[in-house]
Order: sequence, then structure tokens, then C-alpha cells
Amino acid sequence: MISELIYKYLANEATEEEVLLVFEWIETSKKNKKQFITLKQAWAISAFSGNIWSNKPKELQKIVQKKIITFFKYAAILLVLIALGKSIFFGDENKQSSKEIVLELSNGNIEYITKDNQRNILNAKGDLIARKYAAEIVYQGKVADEKVNYNTLKIPYGKRYKITLSDGTVVTLNSGTTLKYPEQFGINGKRKVYLTGEAFFDVAKDKQHPFIVHSDEVAIEVLGTKFNVTAYPDDNTLNSVLIEGSIRMYENENPSNNIILAPDEKVIWKNNSKKFSKQTVDSGFYTAWIKGELAFKDTPFITITKIIERAYDVTIINDNTDLAHQNFTGTINIKESSVENILELLKRDTPFKYSRKLNTITITNQ
Amino acid sequence: MNIINNLELNIFKSFKEGDELAFKYFYEKYFTKIKAFSIQFVYDADEAENIAQESFINLWQNRENIESSNGIQSYLYTFTKSKCLNMIRHNKVKDKFKNDLLNQKERLLDIEILNSFQFDTLELSELEILINKSINELPPKTREVFIKKRFENKKNSEIAEEMGITVKAVEAHMTKALKVLKNKLSDYIFLAAIFICNN
Repeated sequence: MISELIYKYLANEATEEEVLLVFEWIETSKKNKKQFITLKQAWAISAFSGNIWSNKPKELQKIVQKKIITFFKYAAILLVLIALGKSIFFGDENKQSSKEIVLELSNGNIEYITKDNQRNILNAKGDLIARKYAAEIVYQGKVADEKVNYNTLKIPYGKRYKITLSDGTVVTLNSGTTLKYPEQFGINGKRKVYLTGEAFFDVAKDKQHPFIVHSDEVAIEVLGTKFNVTAYPDDNTLNSVLIEGSIRMYENENPSNNIILAPDEKVIWKNNSKKFSKQTVDSGFYTAWIKGELAFKDTPFITITKIIERAYDVTIINDNTDLAHQNFTGTINIKESSVENILELLKRDTPFKYSRKLNTITITNQ
Repeated sequence: MNIINNLELNIFKSFKEGDELAFKYFYEKYFTKIKAFSIQFVYDADEAENIAQESFINLWQNRENIESSNGIQSYLYTFTKSKCLNMIRHNKVKDKFKNDLLNQKERLLDIEILNSFQFDTLELSELEILINKSINELPPKTREVFIKKRFENKKNSEIAEEMGITVKAVEAHMTKALKVLKNKLSDYIFLAAIFICNN
């Protein structure tokens, strides 16, 4: 009886009730547990023994050769960083109003994500679609319906958050970011999500359903890899950086205007001229935010103030004309530093004065 | 030393020198095995394929540190083991059951099982020899079913059709095979336990 259940469990053919029985048996004694462990060990390494494999007919060998080709093609990590014009997907939301992370469900319900509430998210039919924790939300992979319902996650300034989509894709969302995504990807067609702000994507591989990140003017198509996207509404150019692999980016209105990125290349897209141009860069620098760091490399002060505003949820008014044209290089740990720490650091290089009233910081000449 | 081992020794030398064809030989020999191994712990064919591919990339990059052709298999398994452990520990393995406690239990047990593998070249070959020996000693029909199921990855219904028996009979043969394996391998359990304690 139990042997039959164990076999079914190992062959992945057991029902949940049967698995429960197997675990009950395992927990009955140490001897049972040991027996099970050995069986699973044997089961796991006994599959497709090398000797039998070499006697396989030719067609199987061919499949293996094909696999080698795809293996070199997809064994890649890539990173894309983009900054885009204003969003057409979420309306005019330059400043996000809520101080908390907001989740909008397809039925119109709104959930606030705070530190200590952990709960299950249900859809209109009452099925469990996701589990929500303080630092991340995890969607469940269920059999998809034909109809795709979109949820929206809004991250306010000063916060970051992580989401696992129903296909297993993990997205890390930076401050001031909005992501619109299906609560369940459809069976057919492409996996589409919509982004304003900045996010790091770790896309689950699924060659039948290409993954597409849509932004205002440009879309990125991938088949399963890692990349970073920045598409803040208040930035006017688009930058994308690739670490490894290959990715195609194209203009939404004119998909034939496209570019394929190679590793360590940065692509600049300008909304005005509608053209892509390339240069070589150090790509590691563009993912610092995932580790909770702000990284600058010859970065103009204007850009730095925008990044600080998002990370710390403050407003910076700069009345110092010298500073506006200054470039800075350095890395700052967000949690370990305050806005004041950063400004004091910058002051050592280029002297200036600043004052803070609530969340507004004004910078003036020395 | 027999001819096959001689051949493999030559291929291994070429592999160390960076010959891609030699790499392909080992890829063909072990890829499906490594993938099948990870499926048992991540329960997802795509994810298992990713892990297997990654293990081969790492093998290729670290080929200079591998000392023998047996070392290849042990390198691949060791890498795959730690990948699977990472996936489980970082909650990257999707829930299989509605019952959350059961999901938790399965993960904990899988971690324990993965950790109980040492994957040095000795352990691998011993376990393999033991398994092959046990399979060879199965009654002919039971052995045929087990091989079709486990090595050729066929469905119960396919096996039933090929052998002209019922699906129920296929299941019964598998159950029997597992019972025999359980008994034959129980001595090995004892060995493995001691081995782990000594480490």
C-alpha cells in the first residue's frame, strides 16, 4: 500500500490526499524517513542512465544537439535601463499621492500594503490568486482563463517592493514605480506588462509566450532573461543597458524602427528625434538600486536630485546655478544614509548652502 | 582499462584543452540526467532545464579545475544540488499543494535529501552500481516496466500499450520494483548515514 503511494508520489502522479498519507508515513518513524530519503535519492539519480542513453536512436541525439544551440543562445543575463517620456498607460500621475504601496485589483478593490499585514488576495470568483507579504507579493500559477484581468501595483517615493507574477517572473520595483500586469497570464499570445518608473525583471523562460515590457513610446521583447528598465515619466530620454544576451527594442508606433542590444552596450532613445543610438558602458553600475544603493558616475546634479527625491520621498529645489552643471561620481547606501549625509558629502566637493522645511530642501549659493 | 574508458580518457583530455566537440560529448551524456535530477526538487521542467544548462556553462568555465572524467559528473551534480537548495530556500519553487503545511514539509524534506547527497565521485559510482545491480535483479517484466518508466520516461499508458498489459498492471510492477529497491538499498542507507556523520 505505502510502496504504491510512494511510487506515485515520486512519479508525480499522486493526489494531494495521497501525498498527505505519504508524509504521515514518513513522520511515523525515523526508519521510514531514512527509507524514503534513500528511495528518493535513488529515484533522482537513476533517471536516464548514461549507458542506456548512448544506445538511443539518432533522432534523440538530434534533439540534444538542438539543445546545445539553444543553450548558448539563452544562457544570458541582460540588463536594460530606460528612461522614458510621460506615461499613456496610467494617466497623469507625476507624483504618486499615497504614502503606502497600493494594489488595485481587476474588480476595482484597493489594498494597502503596510509592514505588518500579511494576507491572501482573492479574485472576483473568490479564488486565491496571490499571497501578500510586507516586502513582496507572490502570484499563484493556476490554469489560465482566456480572459486576462489586469492588476496594478503602485510604489510610492521612498519605498521599494518585489512581485512574483503568475508565470514565475520576479520583478523588483524601485521607488515611484507603477506596474500593470495580468493576475494570470493568458494561455495564448504574449505576456504583456506595462511600466512607468524603474524595475528589474527576472523573466521566466517560456519560448511560446514572449515577454514584453510596454512603455510610453518603446517596447522591449525578451524570451526569458534578466534586465532592468527605467521609464520615469519626468525623464525625457531613454537609456537602456545590456549586460549579457540579446534583446530587441522597438518603437510602439513603428516596430520596424528597432534595435538589437549587445552586451555592455547602452542605447539612448530620444523622444524628440525618435532615434536609437549606441555606446559601450560598464553595465554593473546600473543595477546598484536593487542592492539598496544609489550609484552615480559623472552624473549631472540635476539627475542626482531626481534620484534622491524618489529614494527618500523629498522635494529638492536648487537655486544654485554652479551646482546645476556639476557632475558627481560615487555610491551611496540608501538605508545607511540620510539626505543630509548625501548633501554634506556633495558640499565637500562644491560648496553650497541648504535648508530643510519638512520634506522640502532648498539649495542656495554659498 | 577497456576501450570505452580509453576513449573517454581521450575525450576528457580534449575537453580540458577547450575542445567544444568533447564538451558536446559530455553534454549529451549527462544533460538529461542532470535535468531529470533537478526536476525531482524544483518540480518544473523549464526551471530544471535552466539549472542543467547553467551547470554545464559552469562546467565549461571551470574545466581547468576538473581532474578526471568522473569528476565531470560529480561537478555537475554538486552544482545542481546547490542550485536546487538555493531555489527552495529562497522560495522560488512554486507551491504544489493547497495545503501550505504540506508544501513546507515537502521543502524541508527535499532540503534534507539534497544535503544528504555528497556527490564525490566514489559515492556517485557506488550508488549507481548498487541501483543498476538492484534493477538487474528484478523479475524480467518488472525490470522492463521500471526501465521504460524511469530511463525512457514513458507514460503508464504507453508502457501498457507496448507490453500488452493493463495500466493497473504497470502500476503494480512499479510498486513491486520500488519495494525491492527499498529493501536492497536499506543497507546503503546505513552506509550513507555513517558517511554523513563522519563529515
